[in-house]
Amino acid sequence: MKISAFKTGRFWILFLLLLIFSWGYAFSEKDSVVEIYKNATAPFDDEKSVDSILLIPDNTVPVETKYQGGFFWTETRKDKIERFKCSECHNNKDVQIARAAEIAHGDIILDHGGQDKPLSCYTCHKKDDRNFLVTEEGSKIDMDHSYQMCGQCHFRQKKDWVGGAHGKRVSYWAGTRVVKTCTSCHDPHSPLFEKRWPKTYSPPLVN
Amino acid sequence: MNSRKNKDCRKQKKNTPLQDKPFGRREFLKGAVKAAALGSAAMVSGCGTGLLGSSEEDSLRWKEYFKKHYRLMTQEEKDETVRRLERLARLRRGVDIQMSSKGPIERILFGYAFNLTRCEGFMECVAACVKENNLDRKSNTQYIRIFEMEHGEMSPASGNSKYFHEVPVEDHFYMGVQCFHCEKAPCVKACPTQATYREPDGIVVVDYDWCIGCRYCIAACPYYGRRFNWNEPYVPVNEITKKQHYLGNRMRTKGQMEKCTFCVQRTREGRLPACVEACPTGARVFGNLLDPKSEIRYVLKNKKVFRFKEELGTDAKYWYFID
Repeated sequence: MKISAFKTGRFWILFLLLLIFSWGYAFSEKDSVVEIYKNATAPFDDEKSVDSILLIPDNTVPVETKYQGGFFWTETRKDKIERFKCSECHNNKDVQIARAAEIAHGDIILDHGGQDKPLSCYTCHKKDDRNFLVTEEGSKIDMDHSYQMCGQCHFRQKKDWVGGAHGKRVSYWAGTRVVKTCTSCHDPHSPLFEKRWPKTYSPPLVN
Repeated sequence: MNSRKNKDCRKQKKNTPLQDKPFGRREFLKGAVKAAALGSAAMVSGCGTGLLGSSEEDSLRWKEYFKKHYRLMTQEEKDETVRRLERLARLRRGVDIQMSSKGPIERILFGYAFNLTRCEGFMECVAACVKENNLDRKSNTQYIRIFEMEHGEMSPASGNSKYFHEVPVEDHFYMGVQCFHCEKAPCVKACPTQATYREPDGIVVVDYDWCIGCRYCIAACPYYGRRFNWNEPYVPVNEITKKQHYLGNRMRTKGQMEKCTFCVQRTREGRLPACVEACPTGARVFGNLLDPKSEIRYVLKNKKVFRFKEELGTDAKYWYFID
């Protein structure tokens, strides 16, 4: 008799515990942000919802890689290169002017690839067609789509850039996705950011 | 100024420029006490109008005191108070501002992600935030704090937020901390006047005019996300950001709480917050959590993310991630 009473008591305690836990679970998890965004699967049309959205600005090109099923745009490069087109000097004849390389390209500091595998000019620029970049495979790449060039080695960064975890959008979170291209932030010849002083400083904590 | 005409009726006060003249609730109460004392005398001599609003500025201020909590206002009332505040800014500071009372957009829940690998501590975000949000230049109020931390450190408590040297430093990473716009925000629970509350798009805002300055929310916030105006905030007139929002970067006064609002004046119009736009390394990601195609959703799905002090259950909408 005593044992069975103990057993039923234990059963009830277990049942109660189970009830408490399931109750807690039911009320704690459902309204968390993680649950909310995971359940939000319907497409969101920002162009309808948000009043002022960015029209595709000038100096952008559609990226050839797709972003989560859709197109996105990136900033151009060619209009920011001082001496484009390159073929104005680099045609089928050799450049005859003395110290031409120093005058035209002396500002370029090549620091790309580290000490182990330093890149040379000819890793990206080929002698037969200077207006384009040439990949390791030998295919020509337009300067505006230089992300394809960078993506050969920095494929992880490129994947993140396409997805949105690397790089940044231009001005608007809503509307057509326009992002900065690799060379908007990185100097392709020495891509690491230089050390510099911070823009401001923080005072000691108050309050 | 008209109000100066009747000045003799009141007790002579030190003549300060209008911009610096504090007029918080305490001053109002002081004024009310004085008014009661002077009441009878004023009735007799017939010059009580200075206090009760003879000039335009006084009457606008008078109306501002009796407005409702922002959440209880109808759109018309919001428009009215916005117009009053625009006019007051013109009268008191001589600037033409455009204030908005734009409400939340449906099916938007703002989220933010911070890339710990990318941030290099240049503090461009802090400077942009100060400029955009009209933060007090006198006491150097900043919403964002960047902590310089050694590799392997886990808490900004052991980091250095007062660094001023060339960055980045080897073997260090930088962690930006600001308001995390918690879904279950402790500051909202602590506020006795419900001046701070969560907007439907997830932004935790302060209705500055309903803040009594008790600073309970500072004590409640586990992230050091809130700032208090110990003095009358000072912004040089030519540096005032003129595009303002009622809940965002409009001018605060002494004794009011303020905090990051994800730049509500920008984000509700589809633009990025000032810190995101200013970031030179692209360490900051901002977007709509309810949009499956947004960048923030990509980060949350594909990156290793964590939230700061997640165990507190504040359910912050601010994630940290690493490459």
